[in-house]
Amino acid sequence: MDPALPLAPSARWAVLKFGGTSVATAPRWRTIAELAAKRVRAGMRPVIVVSAVSGLTNQLQALIDRELDAAALASETAAIRERHLQLIGELGIEAPTATMAWLDHLATLVQQAPLRRREFRWQAELMSMGELISSSLGAAFLASIGLRCQWLDSRQWLKVEPRPNQSEWARWLSVSCATRSDPARVAALAKTADCFVAPGFMASDSDGATCILGRGGSDTSAAYLGALLGAERVEIWTDVAGMFSADPRQVPNARLLSRIDYAEAQEIATTGGKVLHPRCIGPVRESSVPMWIKDTQRPELDGTVIGDDVARDVLSVKAISSRRGIMLVSMETVGMWQQVGFLADVFAQFKQHGLSVDMIGSSETNVTISLDPTENLVNSNVLEALCADLAAICRVKVIGPCTAISLVGRGIRSLLGKLGPVWNVFGAMPIHLISQSSNDLNLTFVVDEARADGLVPRIHEALVKGGALRADDSRVFGPSWASLYRTAATSPPEWWRREREALLRLAAERTPRYVYHRDTIRERATQLRAIAAVDRWFYATKANAHPAVLRTIADAGFDLECVSPGEIEHARATCPDARLLFTPNLARQEDYRRVAATPALLTIEHLGSFAELGDLLRGREVSLRIDLGSGHGHHDKVRTGGAKSKFGIGVDQLGEAVRQAQEHGLRVGVLHAHLGSGILDAAHFGRVYQDMIALAEQVPSVRALNIGGGFGIAAHPDDSALDLARVAELLATIKHAHPQYELWMEPGRYLVAEAGVLLARVNAIKHKYGRSFIGLDAGMHNLLRPALYDAHHPIVNLSRLDAPDALRADIVGPICESGDVLGGERALPATSVDDVFLIAQAGAYGAVMASNYNRRAAADEVML
Amino acid sequence: MSAIDTPRDAQTFHFVRAGYDAKSASAALVYRFDDDPELIETIRFADTELAIPAGREAAFAAALRLLHLIAGISYYKAAVPPQIAVDGAPLDAALAALLDEIYLHGLGEFAHRNGLDLRDRIEFPHDAHVPDVAARVGLPRRTLVPIGGGKDSLVTVELLRAAHEPMTATWVGRSPLIAACVERSGLPRLNIERQISPLLFEMNRNGAWNGHIPVTAINSAILVCAAILHGHDAIAFSNERSASSANLVRDGFAVNHQWSKSIDFERAFRGYVSTHVAADLDYFSALRPLSELAVTRLFAPLTQYHDVFSSCNRNFRILGDKPAERWCGQCPKCHFVFLALSPFLPKTRLVAIFGRNLLDDATLAADFDALLEVGAHKPFECVGEGRESRAAMAALVDRAEWREDALVARFHERILPLLDAGELALAPLMSVDGPHHLPARLARMFDALG
Repeated sequence: MDPALPLAPSARWAVLKFGGTSVATAPRWRTIAELAAKRVRAGMRPVIVVSAVSGLTNQLQALIDRELDAAALASETAAIRERHLQLIGELGIEAPTATMAWLDHLATLVQQAPLRRREFRWQAELMSMGELISSSLGAAFLASIGLRCQWLDSRQWLKVEPRPNQSEWARWLSVSCATRSDPARVAALAKTADCFVAPGFMASDSDGATCILGRGGSDTSAAYLGALLGAERVEIWTDVAGMFSADPRQVPNARLLSRIDYAEAQEIATTGGKVLHPRCIGPVRESSVPMWIKDTQRPELDGTVIGDDVARDVLSVKAISSRRGIMLVSMETVGMWQQVGFLADVFAQFKQHGLSVDMIGSSETNVTISLDPTENLVNSNVLEALCADLAAICRVKVIGPCTAISLVGRGIRSLLGKLGPVWNVFGAMPIHLISQSSNDLNLTFVVDEARADGLVPRIHEALVKGGALRADDSRVFGPSWASLYRTAATSPPEWWRREREALLRLAAERTPRYVYHRDTIRERATQLRAIAAVDRWFYATKANAHPAVLRTIADAGFDLECVSPGEIEHARATCPDARLLFTPNLARQEDYRRVAATPALLTIEHLGSFAELGDLLRGREVSLRIDLGSGHGHHDKVRTGGAKSKFGIGVDQLGEAVRQAQEHGLRVGVLHAHLGSGILDAAHFGRVYQDMIALAEQVPSVRALNIGGGFGIAAHPDDSALDLARVAELLATIKHAHPQYELWMEPGRYLVAEAGVLLARVNAIKHKYGRSFIGLDAGMHNLLRPALYDAHHPIVNLSRLDAPDALRADIVGPICESGDVLGGERALPATSVDDVFLIAQAGAYGAVMASNYNRRAAADEVML
Repeated sequence: MSAIDTPRDAQTFHFVRAGYDAKSASAALVYRFDDDPELIETIRFADTELAIPAGREAAFAAALRLLHLIAGISYYKAAVPPQIAVDGAPLDAALAALLDEIYLHGLGEFAHRNGLDLRDRIEFPHDAHVPDVAARVGLPRRTLVPIGGGKDSLVTVELLRAAHEPMTATWVGRSPLIAACVERSGLPRLNIERQISPLLFEMNRNGAWNGHIPVTAINSAILVCAAILHGHDAIAFSNERSASSANLVRDGFAVNHQWSKSIDFERAFRGYVSTHVAADLDYFSALRPLSELAVTRLFAPLTQYHDVFSSCNRNFRILGDKPAERWCGQCPKCHFVFLALSPFLPKTRLVAIFGRNLLDDATLAADFDALLEVGAHKPFECVGEGRESRAAMAALVDRAEWREDALVARFHERILPLLDAGELALAPLMSVDGPHHLPARLARMFDALG
């Protein structure tokens, strides 16, 4: 169209909403102007709905919450005025009359604070000022760059619709509006301008008084305006390109939800998704206006489209969301079995106190409900009053704070069969309530907030691995957040790709065969030693005790940790100069006696040892292994802390251990904890370190803390690598505060896993009941980890490394055990008997765990 | 062998010298065991160059000497040798008596835990000279308020703000948690850095005596220097009434974990400062006439601090957004602050601050018993008196939303019947009374309290 002419009256409306950050600076306003102009050029009539400049709404709320004297109030308004004048200056426009009038009005309102602070009507008017100021300013700016733009008073369009049982507070500060459209009025508005800027967050009641929509108000304003104007779409411009399958801050590999329907979007928002407020879906849903979510900084990204036009036959969990601060109220009847009207009686109390119940679980004599942490619940004594009344009719217990974790997806009941891995994640964790929503859109677990840390990423991973979240279905899912927003860490190709020819030659000599790569071991050692906070490194020799491997690691500055006299002797023979740490588990006295004859530092890990070894070790320093009570790691069987674990002494036994050590003349110089392996969460190491410091402060003789190892390696395609820089930073912060303790660590797997591969040859290929099996000459007798830990090892057909995938098959060994599966359902190129297969990340706990089960031969080991 | 290698064999602890370097705004405090290498602690009072203001040289010299002598306690305790030697000018009797008191009582818990009796070891040498009485040195009307990251100092800030006191928030060390609290207060800030001699860590590794030291005494002396350098005429700490009560009495000797927060220390220290350092420098605790519980009640409505403060002793050096990063939930401080806040906050808000409900954790029964002082002595931590904990717990018994929680129910069933019902009321604990050293201008500060 010709930009010189106004838009045709029939031009479709588009509502674009921008938040506080987007309206706080001149460059961001120019972005808004460009997007508006682009809509106009495309023949659409944009309505720009804006928030207050960032931080202002909280600032205004503080004027309500805090008592300030006249001077302080005046300085607050002066600062707000100054900030906007500066923005006007940066935009290069004359100070708009309307904006100046709003700023004056704000000053008048603020002056009234001492008298009217508690008045909801005044609060609503004060809270609306930020948007009135920013929208008036924006309208002037858009007009100044040549758009036929006008300010639109949203309050003339958004009319409050009172709700039943509404509190006085909600009647002013959390209102709902009607969505009935008036086409004639819309047509009349269309004649007045090509583009509008409107304040979000507000509406007016039947008397014309200003009311506030409450939290998420500007998104909701945009949705209402979209519905009222019959818009082509509502675009929510924010700081991220849409809704994701989980909160990307917790799960960087969360997938973009490209297209979802209103009900699912609403469910995600309601159960804790942060991008949209649940209230903003209703209006667009009722009027079938599609809602787009777009990234202001990255407008080229597709974002999320919420609408009717979605593939409904994709049976998948769409997202996992979580909400903190949930309170449960558990009510036990004190009356008779099958008491009539119990539910009616208790729910009447909730109604009476204006509390909205979310989830419900019930049994014959108990009903437990959940309450969201609304402002009312957190800041008033409503819970106290409710419970006092409930106590008259039942036994009441309040449980919290809890976290509700919801799996969201249409038809979730049909997905139960694929949720096995999710049940494993919860393990033995107490679950207070499970709720399966009656609309079949979500399945929610309520657990203690303090135990919920890290659950969401693990459940997301379990959903993807179990096939319940079909991340590969592009009709619903887009790219991962990490791939969109993380500068791609260009990880170099694995060493075995470069060494393919040499490996094929080695495989031609014999298979199965382990091959280790010295440079990779050195590289990992260098990476770890860059963590400056760690004073001493030990290598856990049990991971791979091949002499060439041990020497490479010792040469890189590592001392050696051994768990048996056999390992000690092997380590001394192989690396005579390395210092040794002996960390056995429930070892016999003779083991200690053998090792006590060497210079190794001995670790005590059960109370009985003091009496047994006191005479032998009198005067010596020992290390004491503690079980901090909670384990971490990729599988139950590699978690080495927690009530079920056999390692270490309990924290509650520390005092007794120190007493016994003193009695027997032993000095506890080192505290040691090792909570598991395969840990990919950097924060874990900080937690263990801090826990250890708290314990060490009770034991004056402690000079060093050994926080174990457990550095994880990303094995599965959807794993994020452990952020070693973050670990280093975290440890350094803590070290700085507690420099009196040396910090020791003892990684094993991290140093050697990726440096080793297992080469095998295809024995046979078989197809049965539609499933394919590729039988190798290597199996669980060579590499036990997949069978023992469900470990995932990347597997490739080395003979046809770059050929396209042609089949999915289980890769199995020759052992007569159904568990002899090295990799399940792997995508592979067309494969023939005698092809060479490479099983990667096999350098740790590979050869050392081999057996001759079925009388099959072990693989040999070669250092490259 | 030196005392660095075998700390417990040292014979004499020397206070060697102390100096101030204006260019780096740093004081260097030098100590030595026997003929060992010197142990040097540095304290930095500003990021930039900072000269001693004219007219305050003598006052600063006295303050620096006091700091040198008090801060030596961290090193002295590593070996507790039989002899103390002060190099340079001899001490007068008043100063020696102050130091004897600070060392003996300040190391009370340390001695108790290590099974030591320091009564015949601590004796600061002095002669009979009587120094001149300190003069006024023209300090401007401004108060230094040390911030600890916990609730108490934040209550002081808000009380003094309401009384229109000009203030600077100050803290020693690099705690990001304290920095966040100071940020929330919106006050002008003064951060002081303290670098302990690395040789002390080496001594610790070699088996030095270790344990609690009276850090408030050291910080008090640091702030006296800071007040003179930066120009403040008052230092307002935030120690309440219960900080004066002993944790236990052993062999006729009262051991108080927080002795340097007690009114005995306050009286002795402020007296010495005003007579021997600067006559116009006032040192006091703003919260002295209040119980822990009364302070907690004042803190409850200060919601602006709820998501940044922490009283936890184990986690407080690390800042985090998650409650579990600020509150370990395992230490007596966590337990006491949770219990003390519970009568004054909606349950939902309280459990949100801590990220969990400590009163519904049956495994903490013994820990809470210690707070209630039933069957155990008061923990060695800065926590309120047993009767405060008992009154708070008793208040929860009457609240339906708390009554069924594991530890409240246990208290109700097993402990409450053993207690004198007349001693469980909250109201008497809210009274403003007992000795204090609040300046006259703040005398009406608590009037608004009911």
